[in-house]
Amino acid sequence: MRRPRIRGKAALGATAALGALGLAGLAVGQILPPLPAHPVTGVTPVGFLAAPIADTTPNAAQLQRGQYLVRAGDCVSCHMREGGDPLSGGFALKTPFGTIYSANITSDRETGIGGWTPDQFHRAMHDGIDDQGKNLYPALPYPWFRRISRADDDAMLAYLKTTPAVSYTPPPNKLPFPFNIRFLVKFWNVLFLKSTDFRADPRQSAEWNRGAYLVTGLGHCGGCHTPKNWLGADKGGQDLQSGKLDNWVAPDLTANPRTGLGGWSVEEVAEYLKTGRNARAGAGGAMADVITYSTSLLSDADRHAMAVYLKTRPAGAEPAIGAPDAHAMARGAAIYSDACASCHLENGVGQPRLFPPLGHDAVLQQADPTGLEHIILAGSRVGTSPAAPTPLTMPSFAWKLTDQQVADVSTYIRNSWGNRAAAVSSGSVRSLRKSLDLEAIRYTANSGDQN
Amino acid sequence: MGSAGAAAAAGIHDGELGAPPQTYTGKVPWQEGAADAPPAALGTDFRFFTPAERSFIEAAVNRLIPPDPAGPSAVEANVPFFLDRQLAGPFGRGDHYFLGGPWKKGAAEQGYQMRFSPAQLYRAAIKAVDDYAAANFHGAAFASLADADKDKLLKGLEAGTVQLGDGVDAKSFFAMLLQNTKEGYFSDPLYGGNKDMAAWKMIGFPGAHYDYSEWVTRHGEKVPYPTVGMKGRPGWSES
Repeated sequence: MRRPRIRGKAALGATAALGALGLAGLAVGQILPPLPAHPVTGVTPVGFLAAPIADTTPNAAQLQRGQYLVRAGDCVSCHMREGGDPLSGGFALKTPFGTIYSANITSDRETGIGGWTPDQFHRAMHDGIDDQGKNLYPALPYPWFRRISRADDDAMLAYLKTTPAVSYTPPPNKLPFPFNIRFLVKFWNVLFLKSTDFRADPRQSAEWNRGAYLVTGLGHCGGCHTPKNWLGADKGGQDLQSGKLDNWVAPDLTANPRTGLGGWSVEEVAEYLKTGRNARAGAGGAMADVITYSTSLLSDADRHAMAVYLKTRPAGAEPAIGAPDAHAMARGAAIYSDACASCHLENGVGQPRLFPPLGHDAVLQQADPTGLEHIILAGSRVGTSPAAPTPLTMPSFAWKLTDQQVADVSTYIRNSWGNRAAAVSSGSVRSLRKSLDLEAIRYTANSGDQN
Repeated sequence: MGSAGAAAAAGIHDGELGAPPQTYTGKVPWQEGAADAPPAALGTDFRFFTPAERSFIEAAVNRLIPPDPAGPSAVEANVPFFLDRQLAGPFGRGDHYFLGGPWKKGAAEQGYQMRFSPAQLYRAAIKAVDDYAAANFHGAAFASLADADKDKLLKGLEAGTVQLGDGVDAKSFFAMLLQNTKEGYFSDPLYGGNKDMAAWKMIGFPGAHYDYSEWVTRHGEKVPYPTVGMKGRPGWSES
């Protein structure tokens, strides 16, 4: 129904202007500016993190180690805001208590940590106390980082001091009373800062211990994957049994065969950490950044060690799960067939490493369905890595499906092809849609004309 | 010229043309929750046609696609509502047409050559046809003519034998009306026409499925999928 080419009014204006010069014939061809001849390239955060440090550099070995550890700690995911320089901070971390902005940890002496001593840095990493002696909020994961060795802390600071100085001061935190009183963190530390320095377990292999050091220390996996109590501290005895943050669910990483890594091999875990995808899953949400800025940039040996350790984590108790409503299942099956099956296929087998298979899937069977609802409403993008640089994307279905339809298709997916999980209510979808600010359709620039 | 060109490029917002050209660095842009969503025609109110124009449109499209046992008529398929929303929006405004002069009568291959936007053409043509009907059919408006007289007049428009006033080219208007009526009849129900996907069901088209590639070589077989539109089908909500 539409004839292409140019917008009436603009064309009239251009024609009028050029008509005076006798150039009307050129108007049509000159409306759109030419495309750039080639993409403009900048230094990407990954390029920054992987920039070679020459062996001839003074102190090269420590700096190379420090750079590697900054990757292992996934520092860039939090210490970089959209459009900002890597490590310059300003990223808004949305906690249940308010918004905390990450610090500038570049070598800038005024706004960064260029002036910090190794003792000050170690104190921040180990005890959560900054160079001025003030308490840091545990948004900086010092409850995990305190397991890092002093030599590793020193190497990271040495490297950070070689990064380009970026003068940038993040906005002040938005924390309501009483969470805005930093002093209170001292009591939090007394109550919850139970983790000790890392001690190798002599009964386990060297590889297992290396994995434990990375997972429970610098990797701070439990920061997201361990459930939290009402004050944001780890719930005791539930390590890595699935946590919730910023409208996502960080899945269970224990040996639970239904919701955790029980069905995954060590090699599958390691492949996932390397490429963000394996034959079972793709890493979306916050995990996409973890893959891109951290685990994809580690050594195969370290990824394997992390996988070996993770495979030995004990599972939590299994809840009782009732049978889903047959009508909801029938509606969900209809939606799945029309809206999902073109990529994930009718039998849920998908296309491994491209479109995740859905059967016997841990992410889909988490007790809290927020992650699945989030993926359906907002879409998701798998993290990129040097080994798999294409960012595969699932589109948003918020414009297409009602809350009830998202709930029904979720219930269906959570209870098909070997999956078994609690039914999803339309109320939980409605509140998530509101939190994600998707009550009105969010159009891309490529959408059709709106009236 | 540079600024006029840039302004025009920034103003174009159209799936046909794609997003305005931009330069990206570092990573492929992606926004969570954003969708290449088509604009849906919501509600039931008419925004463009006056009541008299609506009577004309309903009478005319129901002669182009009359009710019969094979399937719904154009009115039953909600084509007038589809036309109303199209004419009230970017299509009606002619956002995608070059509407500047010269307005010489061109060859058919040269396409649309009029100074009217589609909305202006419909408005002027409906009045001109009603005036013509009143002058030639005992003072009656088009909508109140007998079916045989309606057909006679429409055929005259199609053949160009009926001359309309107000600078309206009868042939061009008829061609646009017929084209738009077919579009309303067979397009996705999201746009307001093709009510209950009845036109698709009539011809056995299963609708907006993502992928028919496995059927390309399976000639003569019935595709077993239930008919579905971009916003679903009854089975998504009923059970």
